[in-house]
Amino acid sequence: MVRRCLRASFIVFTLAMLIWGPNVSAESMQSKEYLIKVAFLYNFIKFVDWPSESFKNGAAPINLCVLGDDPFGEALDTIRNKRVKGRRLVIKRVRRVEQIEGAHLLFISTSEKGRVKEILKSLADAPVLTISEMEGFGQNGGIINFITVDNKIQFEINSEKAQQHKLKISSQLLKLARIVRSES
Amino acid sequence: MENSRLSPTCQKPKFWRPRAFIGVLVILFSAFVSAMSWANEKTPDITELSVEDLMEVTIETVSKFEQRVIEAPASVSIITSEEIKKYGYRNLADLLRGVRGFFVNYDRAYHYLGIRGFSRGGDYNTRFLLLIDGHRINETIYDTATIGNELPLDIDLIDRVEVIRGPGSSLYGTNAIFGIINIITRKGGDLKGFEASGEAGSFYTYKGRLSYGNKFEKGLEVLVSGSLYDSQGDQKLYYGEYDSPATNFGIAKDCDDEGYGSFFGKASFYDFTLQGAYHKRKKEVPTGSWGTVFNSQGNRIIDERAYLDLKYERELAYELKFKGRLYYDDYFYGGDYIFDFAAPGNPPLLATAKDRTYSEAVGGEMNLSKTLFKKHQLILGGEYRYAFRQDQAYSEIIPIFDDHRTGWNWALYLQDEFEILKNLKLNAGVRYDDYSTFGGTFNPRGSIIYLPFEKTVLKLIYGRAFRAPNVYELYYTDNSTMKSNRNLDPEKIQNVEFVFHQYLGFNLWGTATVYYQRIDDLISQQVDPADGFLVFRNVDKVEGKGLELELEGKWKNGFRGRLSYVLQKTKDRETNETLVNSPSHLFKFNGIVPIWKEKLFVGLEEQFTSQRKTSGGHHAGAFFITNLTLFSQNLVKDLEISASVYNLFNKKYGDPVGEEHLQDEIKQDGRTFRFKITYRF
Repeated sequence: MVRRCLRASFIVFTLAMLIWGPNVSAESMQSKEYLIKVAFLYNFIKFVDWPSESFKNGAAPINLCVLGDDPFGEALDTIRNKRVKGRRLVIKRVRRVEQIEGAHLLFISTSEKGRVKEILKSLADAPVLTISEMEGFGQNGGIINFITVDNKIQFEINSEKAQQHKLKISSQLLKLARIVRSES
Repeated sequence: MENSRLSPTCQKPKFWRPRAFIGVLVILFSAFVSAMSWANEKTPDITELSVEDLMEVTIETVSKFEQRVIEAPASVSIITSEEIKKYGYRNLADLLRGVRGFFVNYDRAYHYLGIRGFSRGGDYNTRFLLLIDGHRINETIYDTATIGNELPLDIDLIDRVEVIRGPGSSLYGTNAIFGIINIITRKGGDLKGFEASGEAGSFYTYKGRLSYGNKFEKGLEVLVSGSLYDSQGDQKLYYGEYDSPATNFGIAKDCDDEGYGSFFGKASFYDFTLQGAYHKRKKEVPTGSWGTVFNSQGNRIIDERAYLDLKYERELAYELKFKGRLYYDDYFYGGDYIFDFAAPGNPPLLATAKDRTYSEAVGGEMNLSKTLFKKHQLILGGEYRYAFRQDQAYSEIIPIFDDHRTGWNWALYLQDEFEILKNLKLNAGVRYDDYSTFGGTFNPRGSIIYLPFEKTVLKLIYGRAFRAPNVYELYYTDNSTMKSNRNLDPEKIQNVEFVFHQYLGFNLWGTATVYYQRIDDLISQQVDPADGFLVFRNVDKVEGKGLELELEGKWKNGFRGRLSYVLQKTKDRETNETLVNSPSHLFKFNGIVPIWKEKLFVGLEEQFTSQRKTSGGHHAGAFFITNLTLFSQNLVKDLEISASVYNLFNKKYGDPVGEEHLQDEIKQDGRTFRFKITYRF
């Protein structure tokens, strides 16, 4: 009897741990992937040159827009208002394509998967560095796509597309990327 | 202690006292917890990291269930090295116990694998095909799929195990009756140096391993590893069937030793991969099986297995791939059985009978795969195997039986995967096998995979498979009780199953399977009424049907789990009775819980097996087993430590065993422990 009670309580304890346990530690770790990706975004800015006409003046900020459901959460705020290349980094989270006016970097969330082609089309050749994390993003005309290889974050670059958008990506970054091409 | 009720004199070394051990665990655990609350590490400014640095950071993959599981034309489970560590698996048998639908028996000589209500006592997993990196492990004499410590690979060298359920002869030939277990080994590049591992467990069990792996700049990748294992086993085993003064009151003392030595190596260079393994395992058999003298040291089995395998893989042209393989296989079995040759009533006259089996074979395989019109994925292949040595010998003081055979078989196969629509795939294949022994057999397979919605996968699968009669069944005779039968035909199975996969949200993945299977011409030993000799014949017919449910979850922080239930009914079509050793219900839970960062994890397993009929007509009781592992990594850089408790609640239960035993069921281990340290340098 005692044994049974012990066993029952053990199972209840374990189940409880399974249900509530992970949530405690989840918060900090779940965002690790996106913390790293934020750091990538920050680094990309250093390796990409935008045409000067995309900035109103020498002091105008660099705009980073997240379109759709924001996967970064608080991680993104760690780079908010940071200075990079002598400019302030401004972060905007938007829902609709019309709101991305003036963006230099556009992160397209996986929530927009269904209409990613339309979004890219609407950008035409505007000097916007499009970034996402969905299969075939580069092939569909996106510029940088995060991929996960052996539990490590890597990225694909469609360098032809970057040229079309009048963006200059440093060879240092291209060397680290997997180069992809547009597929019509 | 696990056997104290059975044998009051039994004493375990004090170190392994469960209470003390758990106490130590609790103290260690609390130490970790308090350490972590002090640690309160400062997060570095991530913007200071370079792209190169960032690309080296390891993250947990987002819950994406392996594409292979989704797209395979079968019901597939994949177990990874991470799970092997975190659940504390000691061998392949431990791992398979945790996989949906499997049940494993142990008779203290070998482990026997069952699925879909089928597991016959005393046959050596012949209805499963076991592969290591695609190399066939089942040998030609007994067809054994080695899942215990006789597997020619240290479990630590496994990267993942793919379990493919259902008939698979249309691609793989013989043995793939109930499924294929494909072990994929780790890559040398994953080790990047040396790895040393040591473990100690209950019953004075020790294991050591030293491995080296690396990938060099010019493209050469190597992995070499050696392991040694030794266990005294349960030094006092009690079997009521032998409880008489003449047989030490049923106690087998110091008769459970086990040891193995193992070597594994592989090297890849460009398109070539050369792999080799050598493994030798010795086991004392304490159960008095085959009528051997009980409680007598020296009833021993030896399994030795070696192979060399050269693989060549190359993309010859755009979307045209070539795969070729040449191999050499070697197998030895030695059985020493101590018998009492004295006439009843006379003083004992003990002598050792010796069973010796050798097999050597060479073979090759090649296939071409080609994508046609973007919609067809064709595979065309063939293989040939020549067993140039298949020797069986048996002696009782004087030689009684000495048989030498050679044998060959070849096969051709063709498979097409046709993508009819983006979300509808047809997969069909057929293979023809020809054997020097019984002739030819055709085995087709077909499946339809349909994704009606983004998160739903439906599969309808039909397949046929066979198992060729093996050399033992065809030729073994001892001239006094057993005779051979050279006219055996292959066993056959037909199976239809329907698989339904469903994503439930982002982190959960559900699977439901229903199946129906018919097995014909099962090879069974029976008495020939004409002369009273035992002989193998294609006699039995079996029918099985069942339902399998599984829920699998993966979260980014390292938390993951599997929950499965299986309902199955497998019966003899002649007698309409449920088979021996066929549980109707199996319930399993596996969970990994990250306790602290990515450094400390708990792995928990719960396994329920319902009652099973024994060959003696009784029932082995239902049982519920809990295994618990505390696993840590990188507390000290490159160091992994784990502590495991198996059968945590010391449940007493037995497994039904084959008729070579006087016992109807063999008692299994109670609570046991293992402590393991692995260090990379």
